[in-house]
Amino acid sequence: MTTESLGSWLERASRRSDVGLRLLDRSERATWYPWSEIRQRVVATCGLLQRAGVRKGDRVALVFPTSIEFIDAFFGAVLAGAVPVPLYPPVRLHRLDEYSARTARMLRAVSARMVLADARLRPILGPAVAAAEPSLGCRTPGELKPGPAKPVARTPDDLAMVQFSSGTTVEPKPVALSHRAVTAQAVALNAHWPDIDGVVNSGVSWLPLYHDMGLIGCIFTALERPGTLTLIPPELFLARPGVWLRAISSYGATISVAPNFAYGVSVAKIADEDLVGVDLSGWRIALCGAEPVVPRVLRRFVERFAGWGFRPESLTPVYGLSEATLAVTFSELGAPFASRHFDRDRLSAEGRAVPAADGLELVSVGRPLAGIDVRVRDGEGRELPPGRVGGVWARGPSIMDGYLGRPEATDEVLRDGWLDTGDLGFMHDGELYLTGRKKDVLILRGRNHSPTEVEAAVDEVDGVRLGCSVAVTWLPEGADGEVLLLLVEANRGAGRSDDDELIEACRKAVRVAAGLEVDVVEVLEPGTLPRTSSGKLRRAASLELYLAGELVPPEKMTPWRLAGAAVKGSLEVARLNRKNRGRG
Amino acid sequence: MTPAEILAAIEEVARVHIGFTGSLRPEMRMVEDLELDSLKALTLALEVENRFRICLDPALEATIETVGDLVNAVGQLLADRDD
Repeated sequence: MTTESLGSWLERASRRSDVGLRLLDRSERATWYPWSEIRQRVVATCGLLQRAGVRKGDRVALVFPTSIEFIDAFFGAVLAGAVPVPLYPPVRLHRLDEYSARTARMLRAVSARMVLADARLRPILGPAVAAAEPSLGCRTPGELKPGPAKPVARTPDDLAMVQFSSGTTVEPKPVALSHRAVTAQAVALNAHWPDIDGVVNSGVSWLPLYHDMGLIGCIFTALERPGTLTLIPPELFLARPGVWLRAISSYGATISVAPNFAYGVSVAKIADEDLVGVDLSGWRIALCGAEPVVPRVLRRFVERFAGWGFRPESLTPVYGLSEATLAVTFSELGAPFASRHFDRDRLSAEGRAVPAADGLELVSVGRPLAGIDVRVRDGEGRELPPGRVGGVWARGPSIMDGYLGRPEATDEVLRDGWLDTGDLGFMHDGELYLTGRKKDVLILRGRNHSPTEVEAAVDEVDGVRLGCSVAVTWLPEGADGEVLLLLVEANRGAGRSDDDELIEACRKAVRVAAGLEVDVVEVLEPGTLPRTSSGKLRRAASLELYLAGELVPPEKMTPWRLAGAAVKGSLEVARLNRKNRGRG
Repeated sequence: MTPAEILAAIEEVARVHIGFTGSLRPEMRMVEDLELDSLKALTLALEVENRFRICLDPALEATIETVGDLVNAVGQLLADRDD
C-alpha cells in the first residue's frame, strides 16, 4: 500500500513532462518547469540541505519571492524529512526594524535550525538571524555544496510544514500541519473540482507562496493532480492587476482563486486596453476567499468582465483558515453565488438569522468540503440550531495538530478534535453564512494581521495612553471590504481641538510600523475601552460598543457608589477598583 | 539623467500610479510624508523600476528613507548600468 505524501506525489508527477509550473517574470515572460524537471531540482536541493546538516524534523525557514527557488527549497526540505516554514519577505520601501523583530520572533517560535533565503534577500535578514541564532545559520541555495540526496520517509502523523496564522504578531502562532492534514486537504480539493467535458483543469495564481491559499490551494493541488499552474509574482498583480486576467486567458486556466479585495481592485484598475484579446470564458472556477465576501464587489466584477466572456456562475465564495490547513466550506460550483437578506436588528440584537427582503445581504460560503464537519455552537459549546448565530467549529482530517510549542494557545481552540475557528456565523438551508469574528485578528486585503502590532505602534504616539488602544477590522454594510478602526484613549481626554493632530499622528505611526492605512481613528476619554476582569482590553466588545454608539467613559467613581457596589459582591468591587486605578 | 530629472520622473510615476498630488522634494520621507502604506509603497517601487528599467536591491532599498535617498539610489543604478 502506498501512503499519500508530498514525496510520493512528487515521484508520481516526475513522470510527466507535459504538466508543470509556469512562472511569469515582471515582463510577463514565462519560464516553463515540467514536474519531471522540478523533481530533479528538488532532489538536488534535498542533497544540498542534507549535506549542510539538515536532519529529520528540523525546521527550515524559507524567505523567497515567488520563484522556482521557493519550490526547490520547500520540497527539498520536505524530501530531507525536514519541516519547511515559509516566511514573508519585507514590505518594499519600508524600514526594516519592525520586519527584523517580527521575523526573529517567528524564527524563535519554530526553533528554526536554518534559514534558507533568496540571495538578494539574505543581506536584510541579518538582524533577525543574529537575534534568533538558528544553529545552521542563514544560507542561500547557491552557496550550499551538492551532496547525495537521501530522501527521508515520513509518516502521516509527522509534521509536514508550519504556517503562521497571522502574518505579523507579537506572539506568532505557528500552525503545525501534519502530512495527513496537508495531503487530505489537497486530495479533497482536487476531488471537488474534477475535470469536466474533457477540459483538463489548470490554474493561475498570484497569491504569495507563504500564504495557505497560494501554497496549499494552488501548488499542492497542482502537484497532486498532477497538473499545470501558472505563477505570477504577487507584487506584479498588485501593481498591474490586468496581468491576472491576461494570464488566465493566455494559458487557458480553468481555476483561479483570490480574496475579495482582488476582485474589487480588478474592477477599479484594469482598463479595456489591458485586456486586448482576452477571453475569460474558460475560467470555470473563480474562487473568492481569505476575507469576507462582499456581494456588491462580485456583482461589479461580473458586470465589468462579462464582455470578455466571464461567466457569473464561475464565482465561488469559499471559507477556510490556516488552522484547518485551508478550506472548510465551498459554495456550489457552476452556480451563481448565493446571497440572502436577513433582518439586521434580529441578527445583531438576538443573534437570529431571519430572512427579510430589505435586510442585510450576506453571502453563503456554502457547505463543508468532503470529510469536514461544521457546527455552530454557543459560548458554552452547545450546538445551536440553524438560523442561530454562534461560533463556527470544524472537524476533519485537515485540522492542524496545534500551535507549535504553544500548548495553552492550542487548548484554547482545539477541543476533542474540534477547532474553534474564532469566526461567527449561522447555518441556513444547510449552508454557512459568516457574520463576524470573536478572535483578535485584522483581515486586510486577504491577509491576516495582529492587532497588537498596530496597537504597539500607536503606543509610541505622544498623548495616547500606554496600552489603551484597540485595533479592529470589520465589514461595514456598503463597504467593499473590511475597514481598519483604531480606538485610542487620549491622556488629556477627547473632543479637544487638537484631536485631529493626534489622529494624524496615529495614522502615521501605523503606516510606518505596519504599512497599513487606518480608515477610522476614534479618540476616547480615559477608561472608555472595555476590559476583562484581569485588565486585558476586549477588542470584539470594543467594536460592538463602538458600533452601538455606546463607547462612553465610565461614570466618576465616588466612595458612595463604591460602597453601594460592595453589596453586589466582592468580585464586582474588585473589578471596579481595578477600573478606577486604571483610570489614574 | 540629472538628479532633478530623476526627481521629476519619480514625481510623474507617483502621480500616475499612486495618485500622489503635489510636488516631491528630496527631504520628504517616503512613508510618513508620501503616506505610503504597503500597497502604495510596493506599487511605487515597482513602477519606479519599470520607468528607469532598473532593479532596486532589497538591501539598498532598506536604506531608503527619503525621496532624496530614492533619487540617489536610482541615479547610482543608472550610472552603474551605463558604465
